[in-house]
Amino acid sequence: MLAALAAAALLLAAVLLLAVRVRTDMAEFLPRGETEAARLVLREARAGAATGLILVGIEGAPPADLARISRAMAEALPATGLFSLVIGGEAALPEAEGAALFARRYLLSPASTAEAFTEPALRADLEALLRQLGSSMAPLAVQFGLADPPGAFLAMLRGWAGSSSVRVVEGAWFAAGQDRALLLARSRAGGMDIPAQEAATAAIQAAFLAASPGPARLLVAGPAVFARDAARAIRGDVERIALLSTGLVALLLWWRFRSALVLAAIAVPVVLSIAAAALVVQLGYGALHGVALGFGITMLGVSLDYPVLMIGHRKAGEPAMATRARIGPAFVLAVITATLGLAAMVFSGFPGLSQLGVFSAAGLAAAALATWWLLPRLVVAAELAPVSAGNPAWLAPVEGLRRWRLLGLLPVLAAALYLAARGGPDWEGDLQSLSPVPAASRALDAELRAQLGAPEVTQLLVIQGADAEAVLRRQEELWPVLERLRAAGALAGAELAARLLPSIATQEARRAALPAPGELARRLAAAGAGLPFRPDAFAPFLQAVAASRDLPPLRPENLAGTPLGARLEPLLFQREGRWHGPVALRGVHDAAAIRAALDGREGVVYVDMRQELGGILARYTAQAWHWLGWTGLLVLAVLAAGLRDAGRVVRVLGSVVAALLVAVAVLTLAGARLSLLHLVALQLVAGIGLDYGLFFSRPLLDAEERARTLRTLVTCNAMTLLTFGLLAACQTPLLRDIGWTVAIGAVLAMGFGFLFAGERPAPRGAGQRR
Amino acid sequence: MARMAAVPERHESFREERRLAALNFPLVMTGTLRYRRPAHLEKLTETPQPESLVVEGDRVELTLGNEPTQILDLARAPELRVLVDAVRAPLSGDLAALRRSFAVRATGTPDAWVLELQPLEPRAARFLRAVRLAGSGTNVRETLLLQANGDVHHMLTRPLP
Repeated sequence: MLAALAAAALLLAAVLLLAVRVRTDMAEFLPRGETEAARLVLREARAGAATGLILVGIEGAPPADLARISRAMAEALPATGLFSLVIGGEAALPEAEGAALFARRYLLSPASTAEAFTEPALRADLEALLRQLGSSMAPLAVQFGLADPPGAFLAMLRGWAGSSSVRVVEGAWFAAGQDRALLLARSRAGGMDIPAQEAATAAIQAAFLAASPGPARLLVAGPAVFARDAARAIRGDVERIALLSTGLVALLLWWRFRSALVLAAIAVPVVLSIAAAALVVQLGYGALHGVALGFGITMLGVSLDYPVLMIGHRKAGEPAMATRARIGPAFVLAVITATLGLAAMVFSGFPGLSQLGVFSAAGLAAAALATWWLLPRLVVAAELAPVSAGNPAWLAPVEGLRRWRLLGLLPVLAAALYLAARGGPDWEGDLQSLSPVPAASRALDAELRAQLGAPEVTQLLVIQGADAEAVLRRQEELWPVLERLRAAGALAGAELAARLLPSIATQEARRAALPAPGELARRLAAAGAGLPFRPDAFAPFLQAVAASRDLPPLRPENLAGTPLGARLEPLLFQREGRWHGPVALRGVHDAAAIRAALDGREGVVYVDMRQELGGILARYTAQAWHWLGWTGLLVLAVLAAGLRDAGRVVRVLGSVVAALLVAVAVLTLAGARLSLLHLVALQLVAGIGLDYGLFFSRPLLDAEERARTLRTLVTCNAMTLLTFGLLAACQTPLLRDIGWTVAIGAVLAMGFGFLFAGERPAPRGAGQRR
Repeated sequence: MARMAAVPERHESFREERRLAALNFPLVMTGTLRYRRPAHLEKLTETPQPESLVVEGDRVELTLGNEPTQILDLARAPELRVLVDAVRAPLSGDLAALRRSFAVRATGTPDAWVLELQPLEPRAARFLRAVRLAGSGTNVRETLLLQANGDVHHMLTRPLP
């Protein structure tokens, strides 16, 4: 019956975990942002067109091979239909689109001004053209110059080239000063649609392999790849830990209890607790974040304590229900205080943390309930034999250590002094520390972005308007301001929609400024007086200007499906009825100057994402102290009400506080910067410490029971160390942080719980009398 | 071709005549050419306007008169590249490289040979119709570039001591 029940619990858990949607993007984990602009940016960072960006590098082979692979990929990828944009070289502008844009040069180009068509300007253009025809530039001058003496098209191309520092090797983009081919792709699906991103990155991989890469290596980065990598890393970590720690904990429990049935009985509450926790989070949040799941799985180490405490404390010949009644008070208090501590996170207002809180509190409560109601019946039904306490003779010398327990205050004092002297622990101000994305992936992303000239989305202006035209006009008004800031060195550059596509008003103004065909021919003839140009040399120019006078302006929707349209997509879009035109700033050196220059401009907001997110983090960290304080008070009240013994309350809480203090000091000494997740982990340590303290401090126990308690708690501690020790070896940085914190904290909680919470042995080894 | 490859360095004077469809009369330029194996080419124009064009591999440095030097990437300017290749590849004696970009036809004797090149790539062919090189021994005497739009570049070269 027990085996059947354990199997049923496992099955249930498996079904529930499969039904749960696991998410891994950090945006999901973060609060919504302080300002409207920040909220927009966070929302775009979650689902905007920029999230589908995939940066591709190919290296490790001779340049000619890299170029060949890159060209083959650039050709194969658009055919998959998964990408809205693939650029890797000169073929970026298809001939048809290039010709269409060339035809509109006098509407689109910033060089198309009324002055450009005056006689003196044309004269200067023709003289320059003649010089070029007599130089090595002649082929280009013939191709573009005769049809466009004012150079409108070249000025337009320069505006589009942006900040890219790529060079071209055999038709493929290469990083400056490095043998690495570069490609830029954007998937059609949003970056956080993980299955679609898996398909997109798999397509890139397949296109790479199909190009017979030889020794070449493929590098991919970008938000979409991050999401995928984080999902993989977390899944890999969680699976490995779940397997390894289950195996190790099972071995430990086998060694301790020597019974497969006991193992099965212990597994029932634990498996149920994880399933229940996942289900509660799924119901409450619609999805389970991978971080919450990873953290939640490690709850194994804590919720396992409950059944182990119950089974480990059973005396020979004692009915299971009697054990429950005996350890009941300490057990119930331990569960209530630990659950309270974790539940406090629910109200932190930080989406990720409240998920963690709900997951762990629900998990703990479920494990405790299953232990309380189900386990005694299982023990009876399966006729589990009580565990022998063994000969308690070894207990006296161990407990004798408590005689020197005042010495145990020394490390606590040292920790307090150390922390006070350095003004407290270091706090992590960078939200990236919470990211599940491995640091190596982030570094690769930054490197490829710099090489491709793709802006980092950390500094930006958000420009809003009622329609696309309003946004573009605002950007055009802003451009001279940005140019002045750039000239003053406040920033290195900016990418904005209006530089790719001028507003309709601007295009119409340029069109209106174009001279009539007869007039232009007259001015051109006058400008060319005395120069050797044939009369018909500039026919294409005259035709183009005449045709431009009847061209309708180009609108954003006309560019849909073209490479230029794909570039425009993340720079100009409609969300919730309003149009937005984020301007990504590159190389910001003087944020204050930018703020000052933009002050008072309507519809323009400067957002520094790093600062914005850092501010959010700081505020929540400060809040975390508040809720830690309140939780502490609440726990104190529960302990006081439950124990009704001031001495015990002080001993139990004292041991927990000592463990926390020394743990923080050890972490700080090891160079850790404490983040919100450390705080969460410390909450868990506090819960574990309360368990230990409450059980050690039970009064009036005979030596056999004390030995049973010590052995059981040591078993619990070893389990915690096994699970969290494994967590410390994770790839995902935040799981690693939690692992270290809990492992260190649990050892300290065990030590201080034993020293401070337990009673000092009576003189002359009174414990051995019975 | 193989004998061309044996000449590590060349230094020549040139006289170029350009007959452009857009202009009433030809432009004439004179100056010196310097070539060093495998991919270094220098064209220093002295008249009518000083200009320096230095090609090293795919990198082009172009200085017009007193203007600041422009740096171009041949791969980004296929029109320039085909011109450079037509002049440089025969000097390097690399027939295989030449055959990758052009249909090659050689006639005449070692003392009076003619090499005719036609670009293979359609994009280049739309711009450059043909190249005709004439020379004797390891010296190129005459280079004729016929562009698709009717422009003609005709260059005569003489070795310098």
